[in-house]
Amino acid sequence: MTEPLAMAPIVAENLVRHFGDVEAVNGINLQVNAGEIFGFLGPNGAGKSTVVRMLTTLLRPTSGKAFVAGFDVAKHPNEVRQRIGVALQDAAIDPLMTGVELLRLQAVLYSIPKSKMKSRADELLERVGLTAAADRRVGTYSGGMRRRLDLALSLIHQPTVLFLDEPTTGLDPMSRVSLWEEVRRLNNEGTTVMLTTQYLEEADQLADRIAIIDKGVIVREGKPQELKASVGFPTLVVNVSRDQHELAKSILMGFGELRPTAEGTLGVGLRGGAEAVTDVVRKLDESSIRVQHLELNEPSLDDVFAEATGHRLEGAQQ
Amino acid sequence: MSTALSLRQTQALTVRSTKALLRQPALVAPSIFFPIFFAFLGASSFGKTTNIPGFPQVESFLQFSLASTVVQGVLFGSVTGAAALATDIENGFFDRLLLSPSTRSGILIGRLAGSAIFGAAQSLIFILLLLPFNAPVKSGIVGIVALSISGGIVALAIGAIMSSVAIRTGSAEAVQGAFPLLFVLLFFSSAFFPRELMTGAYKRIADINPISHLVEGMRTLVLDGFDVQALAKTLFIPMAICVVAVALALTQLRRRINAQ
Repeated sequence: MTEPLAMAPIVAENLVRHFGDVEAVNGINLQVNAGEIFGFLGPNGAGKSTVVRMLTTLLRPTSGKAFVAGFDVAKHPNEVRQRIGVALQDAAIDPLMTGVELLRLQAVLYSIPKSKMKSRADELLERVGLTAAADRRVGTYSGGMRRRLDLALSLIHQPTVLFLDEPTTGLDPMSRVSLWEEVRRLNNEGTTVMLTTQYLEEADQLADRIAIIDKGVIVREGKPQELKASVGFPTLVVNVSRDQHELAKSILMGFGELRPTAEGTLGVGLRGGAEAVTDVVRKLDESSIRVQHLELNEPSLDDVFAEATGHRLEGAQQ
Repeated sequence: MSTALSLRQTQALTVRSTKALLRQPALVAPSIFFPIFFAFLGASSFGKTTNIPGFPQVESFLQFSLASTVVQGVLFGSVTGAAALATDIENGFFDRLLLSPSTRSGILIGRLAGSAIFGAAQSLIFILLLLPFNAPVKSGIVGIVALSISGGIVALAIGAIMSSVAIRTGSAEAVQGAFPLLFVLLFFSSAFFPRELMTGAYKRIADINPISHLVEGMRTLVLDGFDVQALAKTLFIPMAICVVAVALALTQLRRRINAQ
């Protein structure tokens, strides 16, 4: 029996993964400490899922090392599998089976004794609010129900480390909040959680620490508050007509550094904070620039992303 | 991992694949209906060929067709199982299975065992459905059991071949696309007409086609009664194919996992 190494539950050392000529992940170093919720934030195609697939033994790293639950993922994949729970993107569930059948199958695959199987399945179904739907085929479940069942399946063997790959993508706001509550509850019970997300709010609300990934590289890492504070000034977003863009830009540059914003808008890191807004409006007005829309945003993780990469989190949703 | 645990996991996956098959009547029904339909169509179209000199002594063309009906039906059914495996790969359920600490081979064998159970059940259904239409099995209960077991093993073998396609491509469409190749193999055998009455290239292909020998073993049990050599052909030919096919499928599985 191999003993686990005494180290943080998730450690990646210079992790690289190439698919042919494509460098999907290019030298990731990270450490997730015991009891943390670690958010992995990035746009589609940034390399989040590839990292998760390597950490969960589904994908071999091209180079570098990863340790999960104290075991090298490449050398002792089965030891890792016994200790982790994984809910992959798109809730990978057989639609022809019922919820309780899938939980029992999962219990057998994780060597849970027959005597405990029923009670464990019932407990998890109750936990995720699916007791009433337990005997229904999964094909009849809503998206939120599938996600909750997926989470229950990943918890059958009481893992110490839980990976959630975009757990709320495509869910309605109510289902999303309910899943967040469950993740918090699991974390309070001592489970270390690593979740990938493209939702800024999700990372902000749930994660103790965040790594922002873009083009296979971690560009920022830290606590959400610290990361946002590092951006400094709030962002003033201004909409003006297209023919007045250049003139408006030159005026805004006088109030701080321009920041990337959505197409058709201008953004500036407002050095003077909220108090400088009236000065900006006055200057724009003096130059006969007609402001169509104006808003002042406190620094967000999107600002952190923009500052680190020079572009906004494409497709990011609050 | 202990053998008992490994068997328990494989059994659970077998139950799952069998249930999944039974819950898709739209997929299962054609694999029962069409072979029976073709058997009756053949009997009404070629019924008189039983009078040709050299044609085996039969009670009806349906009795002659019984063995080919079994093999044909099992081909249909086993492709359904392989397509389901490809769907597992497509929708990510296969990854969920790989994420568990269960044996990798158990994941495949569980799926194939489901096909085998279905193949054996199909064979029995065909025998029972044709029995009232003057298509008795002369070797009696032993022959019926042997034909059913053989149907199960053929399903396992063909399921393994098609599963290799499923694992390699991860596409249910590719599995369905490869299916006609199996039918070509069936048509170039003595499944639908006795080898003794064939001539030329067609006969030469049928001579070396293992399906000819499998069907003829089954046919002897149906037409002539119990015969050890026929029983051996009925069971060992599909077993031999099965060993090669399962080895091929496991190699594809290992390759897929290692390539990831």
